[in-house]
Amino acid sequence: MTLKTTLLSASALALLGALAQPAQAQDQSCPVRLGAILSLTGSLGSVGEAIAEAGQLAVDHVNEAGGVLGCEVEYLLRDDQGQPSVGLDAAKTLVEVGGASVLLGAIQSGITMPILTSVAVPSGVPQVSCCSTAPSFTELASEGGTEGLWFRTIPTVSPQGIIMAEKAVEMGYKRPAVIYVNSDYGSSLASAFEAAAKTKGLEIAAMVPYLQEQASYRAEVSTALREEPDSLFLIAFPADGANALREWLSLGGPDTLMLSNALRASEFVEGVGAQYLNKAIGIDNGQIEGESVEIFDAAWVEAFDTSPNGPALHNMYDAAMTALLAIEAAGSTDGEAIAAQMRNVTGGGGTEVLTGPEGFANAKAALEAGEKVSYVGATGAFSFDVNGDVSGPYVIYSVAEDGGFSEVDAWDTARVDAAVEAFNAADQ
Amino acid sequence: MTGLLAYSVFFLTIAGIYAIIVMGLNIQWGFTGLFNAGVVGFYAIGAYTCAVLIGPDRTFLFGGFGLPFAGGMLGAVVAAGLAGLVVALVTLRLSEEYLAIATFGIGISVQLVAINAAGLTGGTNGLYGLPRPFWNLTGDVAVFNLVYFAFVLVILGLIWAALARLIRSPWGRLLRAIREDDVAARSLGKSPVRVRIQSFVIGSGIMGLAGALYTGYIGFVSPIDFIPILTFQIWAMLIVGGSGSLLGGVVGSLVIWLVWTGSGTLLSRVAPPELQAQASAVQVILIGLIIVLTILFRPAGLIGEPRAVTPARRGG
Repeated sequence: MTLKTTLLSASALALLGALAQPAQAQDQSCPVRLGAILSLTGSLGSVGEAIAEAGQLAVDHVNEAGGVLGCEVEYLLRDDQGQPSVGLDAAKTLVEVGGASVLLGAIQSGITMPILTSVAVPSGVPQVSCCSTAPSFTELASEGGTEGLWFRTIPTVSPQGIIMAEKAVEMGYKRPAVIYVNSDYGSSLASAFEAAAKTKGLEIAAMVPYLQEQASYRAEVSTALREEPDSLFLIAFPADGANALREWLSLGGPDTLMLSNALRASEFVEGVGAQYLNKAIGIDNGQIEGESVEIFDAAWVEAFDTSPNGPALHNMYDAAMTALLAIEAAGSTDGEAIAAQMRNVTGGGGTEVLTGPEGFANAKAALEAGEKVSYVGATGAFSFDVNGDVSGPYVIYSVAEDGGFSEVDAWDTARVDAAVEAFNAADQ
Repeated sequence: MTGLLAYSVFFLTIAGIYAIIVMGLNIQWGFTGLFNAGVVGFYAIGAYTCAVLIGPDRTFLFGGFGLPFAGGMLGAVVAAGLAGLVVALVTLRLSEEYLAIATFGIGISVQLVAINAAGLTGGTNGLYGLPRPFWNLTGDVAVFNLVYFAFVLVILGLIWAALARLIRSPWGRLLRAIREDDVAARSLGKSPVRVRIQSFVIGSGIMGLAGALYTGYIGFVSPIDFIPILTFQIWAMLIVGGSGSLLGGVVGSLVIWLVWTGSGTLLSRVAPPELQAQASAVQVILIGLIIVLTILFRPAGLIGEPRAVTPARRGG
């Protein structure tokens, strides 16, 4: 054996050793392990890092409150590199070798779905996604393909489209154009908006998809502007969205803007300039005000010294918190027991518990006293339906001159449900 | 089955599927010298063809023929082979660099079609809930994984045996002759273009078969399964393992996939919690470093091509 092959086989052995080492630790019940698979590099790496930190923050808060089941919580974070096969491998390692009791993630539906069907469901491990909005999960769940182990803390895009169409009517827009990112998120939201807008008598001037991470979006913007729209619904991620919107404004597009939830990010506002966004309204799920939100925001600023404005940060925190609450309520790390408790610890009724270490400590005390708890999270109060989809409040936000966000219209659960029902009736 | 064993079976199955793609590329590049930079495109065509043929019927989709998996596999080979034929007819008169650029464009175009032809491919949401062969054998996922692993091994072995035979045949010698010196081969009355087309089609068909195996294993396909980096990974496997050697391709698949996924596990163990989110950037550097070092120290790959004219000892 030459030196080189020795070195190579030594490094291969080191890798195997790293894989094998935690196998013994699995037999102990402590610590409780929370696996997370997120895109830390790759096309969504720029948003994924902050989402990962939101999960870490939740775990830190829970550990500060004494952990769950008397154990410390370990946060096992893995990068999927934006590639499903890498994410799948990470998920399989986390479950089989790492001893993860719950999987959090992934971000892109195309990674979340194979993890769900090939790792989480076969292994009986609950999966909670912060970020995947594709309608296919709802369909799979209603076909029985998720075995009740699937949850997400981000709403499907359908109510967003319906509410945004209603807001467009309210603002007096007649011919909105839609520019959307050609991903599961963008195309689902765009078609939900299109369908809802049609039932309300709006004329969609143009539906223009764009590809992520292009240097320029002039062609897409020109295509949309050629149809002379009176407003724009921009469905994008922060960096590309800012890029596209700058071109839109410089080509003389109207500043009557509607923004999707992923654009509630400082990166986007700074990229465009807050002064151009004074007529913009945006939609996001969850509350952006309220005590539970403020506790999270303050904790975030203290921990990372940045403002907590980015896609899905609040949802990730809630995903981790809900999962840990469910473990505490279940009294074990058995997958089915945890999944059964996910709905019990949310959705109102019982003792209301908030975010932060104190919120979790309160929840533990209440659970110990045999009370039902109801988590009010960084996105406000929410509940899971039979398909694991979250229903919760929505908020219409505007951009202030200093680049911050403020709430201009709140949609509580009842109002959202009414709008969805009205749409379903009109769509028949 | 203990966790590590269950994981290893899973890991080896995926690595085995990649090894099959590498075999497809090996016949094209390793033996014939055709620079296919659109590997992912043929893999995608195979995966989607299989998914459309075996998938359940859904109202918003064209596909959903509910065929048995064998039909899906056959369809995948035929579709990817046909795509290879069309691409070969158009591009194989191009010299190396141009062929690389043309095939790279084709690989990306296939992914764009997958994103946009929503009625056939499910668009960005992909095709989900696909039936998996052997899934309902016992209802135990560990058994499914084992059986499927054995299935992939058998297919890998069959392709290996077939290729080994082809390469030893006169046709195989012709491949290498064309790779080494196109003009010399032509002066001996051979038709390099026809042989190149044959080699390209066979390689593409093998890649398509690998796509079908991926579909059958995961039960889901979507466009992000076929991002361009996969082409790079397959190339890295072939070059690190040793292009022109069947064993090299398989070894390369194992090594690169182990490095690619194992480095993530390693980093998540050694990086402190507050730096976890940043550690993934190190992973990418690590992967690149290992590939570069291998090429520097073993330019012919871990397992080099056996010498054809004056074999020092017999090799396969």
